[in-house]
Amino acid sequence: MNRIQTKLAEDKKLLSIYFTAGYPNIDDTATIIENLEKNGVDMIEIGLPFSDPLADGPTIQASSTAALKNGMTTEVLFEQLKDIRKTVNIPLIIMGYFNPMFQYGVEAFCKKCQEIGIDGLIIPDLPVDVYHEEYQAIFEKYGLINVFLITPQTSDERIHYIDSISNGFIYMVSSASTTGAQSGFGTVQTEYFERIGKMNLKNPQVIGFGISNNETFTQATQYAKGAIIGSAFVKHVTNNGVNSIDTFVNSILN
Amino acid sequence: MKLKICGMKYQDNIKHVATLQPDYLGFIFYEKSARNFDSESIPDIDEAIKKTGVFVDATLEFVIDKINKHNLQAVQLHGNESPEYCSTLKSEKVEIIKVFSVKDEFNFERLKPYEAVCDFFLFDTKGKHPGGNGYTFDWNLLSDYPSTKPFFLSGGIGLEEIEDIKQFTNSKASKYCYALDVNSKFEIEPGLKNIEALKAFKKNLSEVLDYKKEHVMNYNVNEKGYYGEFGGAFIPEMLYPNVEELRQNYLKVMAEPDFIKEFDQLLKDYVGRPSPLYFAKRLSEKYNTKIYLKREDLNHTGAHKINNTIGQILMAKRLGKHRIIAETGAGQHGVATATVCALMGLECIVYMGEIDIARQAPNVARMKMLGAKVVPALSGSRTLKDATNEAIRDWINNPVDTHYIIGSAIGPHPYPDMVTRFQSVISEEIKWQLKEQTGNENPDYLVACIGGGSNAAGTYYHYLHEPEVGIIAVEAAGLGVDSGESAATSVLGKEGIIHGCKTLLMQTKDGQITEPYSISAGLDYPGVGPMHAHLAKTGRAEFMAITDDDAMNAGLELCKLEGIIPAIESSHALAIFEQRKFKPNDVVVVSLSGRGDKDLNNYIEYFKI
Repeated sequence: MNRIQTKLAEDKKLLSIYFTAGYPNIDDTATIIENLEKNGVDMIEIGLPFSDPLADGPTIQASSTAALKNGMTTEVLFEQLKDIRKTVNIPLIIMGYFNPMFQYGVEAFCKKCQEIGIDGLIIPDLPVDVYHEEYQAIFEKYGLINVFLITPQTSDERIHYIDSISNGFIYMVSSASTTGAQSGFGTVQTEYFERIGKMNLKNPQVIGFGISNNETFTQATQYAKGAIIGSAFVKHVTNNGVNSIDTFVNSILN
Repeated sequence: MKLKICGMKYQDNIKHVATLQPDYLGFIFYEKSARNFDSESIPDIDEAIKKTGVFVDATLEFVIDKINKHNLQAVQLHGNESPEYCSTLKSEKVEIIKVFSVKDEFNFERLKPYEAVCDFFLFDTKGKHPGGNGYTFDWNLLSDYPSTKPFFLSGGIGLEEIEDIKQFTNSKASKYCYALDVNSKFEIEPGLKNIEALKAFKKNLSEVLDYKKEHVMNYNVNEKGYYGEFGGAFIPEMLYPNVEELRQNYLKVMAEPDFIKEFDQLLKDYVGRPSPLYFAKRLSEKYNTKIYLKREDLNHTGAHKINNTIGQILMAKRLGKHRIIAETGAGQHGVATATVCALMGLECIVYMGEIDIARQAPNVARMKMLGAKVVPALSGSRTLKDATNEAIRDWINNPVDTHYIIGSAIGPHPYPDMVTRFQSVISEEIKWQLKEQTGNENPDYLVACIGGGSNAAGTYYHYLHEPEVGIIAVEAAGLGVDSGESAATSVLGKEGIIHGCKTLLMQTKDGQITEPYSISAGLDYPGVGPMHAHLAKTGRAEFMAITDDDAMNAGLELCKLEGIIPAIESSHALAIFEQRKFKPNDVVVVSLSGRGDKDLNNYIEYFKI
């Protein structure tokens, strides 16, 4: 069983945190991951920065630009992560745009992920049908779970299709937006969460986009298996550095 | 030429025939046919063989059900199916083959409405039944075939026709013949094919069937949105509903008679088309060849960009969108978008890099006067690439009421194809204008500058499958291809993904997109449209790179020799005459994509005027 699947089987609501690798400083990657685990985070998305992050709002754009300026590359990230499984046990997912993976070589990328102990990938601009036709076999060969996004505009038919291709969780984007765009959920969102909840999907859902504090985390996890925080955490390390991660995680969980 | 074997019915016979490796196998879904396919399923056959469903005026639901149930890759339509019907099916990602029956004569005008919505035509003998009548028609009628759409030849083809076929393939009439379609002449009984006879047919025609004519290479987008290996739709899920809505509707809408009428009318009365095709006498004398300029610079708003924005605003209205967004680099596309939004009374938001806003102040003012809101793109390098990112982000945040008018032949499918089709009015006009002026509709060369490549795509479109017409694509070399300050994507680019499509793009070895450079803001893009990437890769187009200096000098030369001040983008295309020799009798058509008013400051600074 993949670590993601094991974690999803636990009887608890999951907190997942996204951070941009190479930010605020190039060598913060391992420190951030270890601190997040130590403070009770269940799963981590390691953001591989990209020059043109289409689906991201200003916070993650800025952190990506800074990380690239700091010298972050695919090679550097893999080097930083090579011993991560000596200290960290929770599921680790790499989240990034497709072009850097495509240039590295999709198979070489997946193989490297397996060697390091990465459990899954989230690639917002790799459409599910291209994945299914061209890459699914490679991902499976290296034991990687690919996570797909759905949005309030995704049709039921397509959600069922995505569910059939998925074998981990479904990343439920809370509203039509780029990352970090909004705060708090209104009835439009909660109705959407309820609608998806009633679809009896085989994969659990984890809500992302718009989760920034204890209130939104609690609200989201009423409807889903877990929630992902990205921009709010990136803002936190921008303002406070990597040494007060405990404060941030505690403020979400308690 | 390809081979299609039609009227398959029996399971074992299907498997057996499949071992002969035809390119298409046809299954008739028509109850009145003796070959009606009524089995539950089609046996597993080699995936390279395209399973083709044959229908006669069936309901769309029926056809779509069969496509899904049997995983059909093509549908062949034998009845009176309308162009709208064809375009609906096209969104099912299958090849569309529309059948026309021919007897002693044929009115080729009938094909026109189907050009945009079918992949192939099929010519069959007119007879008692819709197909399978068993005798041929006079293939010489196809000598007058006015289209460039590849077609299937059908009707009564058997072993006795082998010599006729050989003769036919050497004649003009076969120029666009893509495949032979056989059926009843190879049967033991209806639906049961004679393997030995088919084998003999294949063997005797092996030269014809294995011979790949150059024009059969397809330079148009395929049913999945690719040009060869380039194109596709690499978009986040948040954009899927918008792009999918457009994909399902664009061909259908473009085939609607009232859409065509309104588009043509606006191009004529508002844009001022047709734009002249001008024989540049003094320029021709200087370079000792025959140079014709396609005067897109004389369009309303001063460039070819308006052809596309008129098309897309009409599309947006039919899709019920009332908020329009666009990206712009130099501001030409922004102005063209603001113009059509004013024309239609729609809200307009234009994203423009902060740096471009500073260096293109007159166009920013124009957009504002036309009622558009200009939003600075503050991220990344703050130029065109980032303006495009911002426009895409806007679309993600406003998925329901907004249409994104992309200004070039780039972006996720169907944008490159849609923009190309709207711009193809350029080559449509060149064809008749050149014929009027020279007696021949084909030039020896077509020349256009390429950033994303929309004026080039429009200039080439109706000539892509005319192998005798040379295509020259001119990129911006900036300070020199190897200077590190260049936008010559076909040389410096590698396959990758930018703004939703797979194409050639300038990037680091790590896959980060890099900033191009050119003095011309319209060519300053790190990627190139997927169609052009395909033309580069297949060698269909010859790519040249022109430096800032050479372009500026060519621009000034046109002023002095012909009294025309060209846009710096177009000056790149004009600069090739210093570098590449043409024969005195060569007819070279250059797309003069825009006028130079917007570049006056650049010209003044550069030449210290």
